[in-house]
Amino acid sequence: MTTQSPVQHSRQSDLDHASFVGSWRVWVTVVLAIAVAALPFIPAVDSYMLSVVVRAAIFIALGQAWNVTAGIGGQLSLGHGVFFGIGAYTTAILFNRYGIPPWIGFLGGIALALVAAFVMGAATFRLRGVYFALATIAVSLGFEEYARYEIDFTGGDAGMAVRFLGDSLWALQSRDPAPFVWFTLAVVVGFYALTRMILNGRRGFELQAVRDDEEAAAAAGIDVVRVKLWGFLLSAGMTAFVGSVYVQFYLSIDPMTAFGLPQGIQIQLPALIGGLGTAGGPIAGGAIMILVSELTNWAGTAIGQEGIDVLAYGVMLLIIVMRAPAGVVGQWERLFRRPGAAP
Amino acid sequence: MGAPVPSAGSSAMTTGPALKVTGIEKRFGGLVALDNVSFQVMPGEIVGLIGPNGAGKSTLFEVVSGAQQPTAGRVEFDGQDVTTSPAHLRRRAGLSRTFQKIRLFETLTVEQNIAVAAMQSVPEGYPWRDATEEALTRMKLTGLARRRPSNLTLADRKKVEIARALAGSCRTLMLDESLSGLTHDEAQELVSEIHDLNKKDGLTVVIVEHVMSVVVALARRLIVLQYGKLIADGTPAEVVQNPVVIEAYLGTKRRVFA
Repeated sequence: MTTQSPVQHSRQSDLDHASFVGSWRVWVTVVLAIAVAALPFIPAVDSYMLSVVVRAAIFIALGQAWNVTAGIGGQLSLGHGVFFGIGAYTTAILFNRYGIPPWIGFLGGIALALVAAFVMGAATFRLRGVYFALATIAVSLGFEEYARYEIDFTGGDAGMAVRFLGDSLWALQSRDPAPFVWFTLAVVVGFYALTRMILNGRRGFELQAVRDDEEAAAAAGIDVVRVKLWGFLLSAGMTAFVGSVYVQFYLSIDPMTAFGLPQGIQIQLPALIGGLGTAGGPIAGGAIMILVSELTNWAGTAIGQEGIDVLAYGVMLLIIVMRAPAGVVGQWERLFRRPGAAP
Repeated sequence: MGAPVPSAGSSAMTTGPALKVTGIEKRFGGLVALDNVSFQVMPGEIVGLIGPNGAGKSTLFEVVSGAQQPTAGRVEFDGQDVTTSPAHLRRRAGLSRTFQKIRLFETLTVEQNIAVAAMQSVPEGYPWRDATEEALTRMKLTGLARRRPSNLTLADRKKVEIARALAGSCRTLMLDESLSGLTHDEAQELVSEIHDLNKKDGLTVVIVEHVMSVVVALARRLIVLQYGKLIADGTPAEVVQNPVVIEAYLGTKRRVFA
């Protein structure tokens, strides 16, 4: 594509990424964020559309969280919904039963998720193969059963509704979706910045080295188990936090939504479609998916057929896996970058 | 890097062996891959580890580097018993290795491949960026720093792997068939690099090869394995004339003497 020589004299390094400040990415991020934040002020945008934006942001944030351990770290957590559920239930139960506001409930959810993640990781990260992936599924199914049968505590199969106080900053509740647009947008932007920091920092190199080749990573002096655990814990904490935010917006949670396998699968889609292990991937993938979901819902209602969205996700995933395994972002970079260069 | 980086805790091992392997046994079920193997490598030596295919060279390599645990026996590095210590701690202590089939971090750049190793093992207070730069320069890879390994030639990929093994603190370098698959010129170049690492930087080198002509160019001393047993240990001249070795090689691989 270009004839630029790979040899560079006053050499630029990939080890210092202060260059992000002032790069085009920062401007795209700022412009996009301002555009989304301004949506509630546009008269044509109704509260349904705003709630779609919130749904998209939550979906994206879950994808960003999963991306840390699975995308960057290569640890295939198939039952990641468990941390989402832990965050959602913890916040809801603390608030309903003890009147503890979600601002503190968040921390409780994150703490519990970290404990669960630590137990799972410590038990399986030394083993090779599928044990970790299986453990995440098993634990998430276990939590689902627990939430189903501990009716007094969790509301059982029907789930539980969060006590609604109306507009309250203390309880992080609002009749109008606008505050949630801003709040979830802040979460997405924060997670994006965090992902970039990880990718360009010491931990990011370590996570990616372990993802690429565990044995070579150990031979390079990397404590493989510790690095995997670090990525998994961070990811679990992020996921639990989003679970807590979710329950504040939707004001209800049930075992299937929290811990069910569909949740665990959904969490994977934004990164898989957008680009595994990239900072922008889950954002692109999540946004595309919500768009498709809205379009297919609309089309499905028009022709009286439900479930087209799930079919559309499946088809999209197939196309990505077959034609663009690096996802939308990866495909973009392949098209617009000179070969061999680092992103 | 060997010389430029002040190596940590270098007081105790000036006199003793860099590497001491005692009575190593490794069984895989009923198969005895290594049978009572003992040898020493002194600091600053270049030792070749040779033997026909399936002799146990790779297994011995795995056991010494910590990728596998021996069934019995002891591995000491710079006077420390490291038999049970995991691979990453041995690397941090200065015992580095490469792989027979090159294993680089394919999604990282050349520079990042080296940096991630440098970070783990630089001595206290020594900047890993400097250690990365030194290893890059040492293996003449500066021009390729920002490339992905998949775009490099085999010879360059081997150099990257060696640079990654050198980065930070490395005192003993174990090379697993680093010269195989290279053209004559490429192999010559790498041989002289390895020579320099040993002479100028004082690195101890253990090199595994199954083609003897290659290893003779580098090593002053050869250790020969066959069927998991150490059958000879001496200078190349002694080893080549050793009847046990001749039989081992002529029995299976006549062409190694070509």
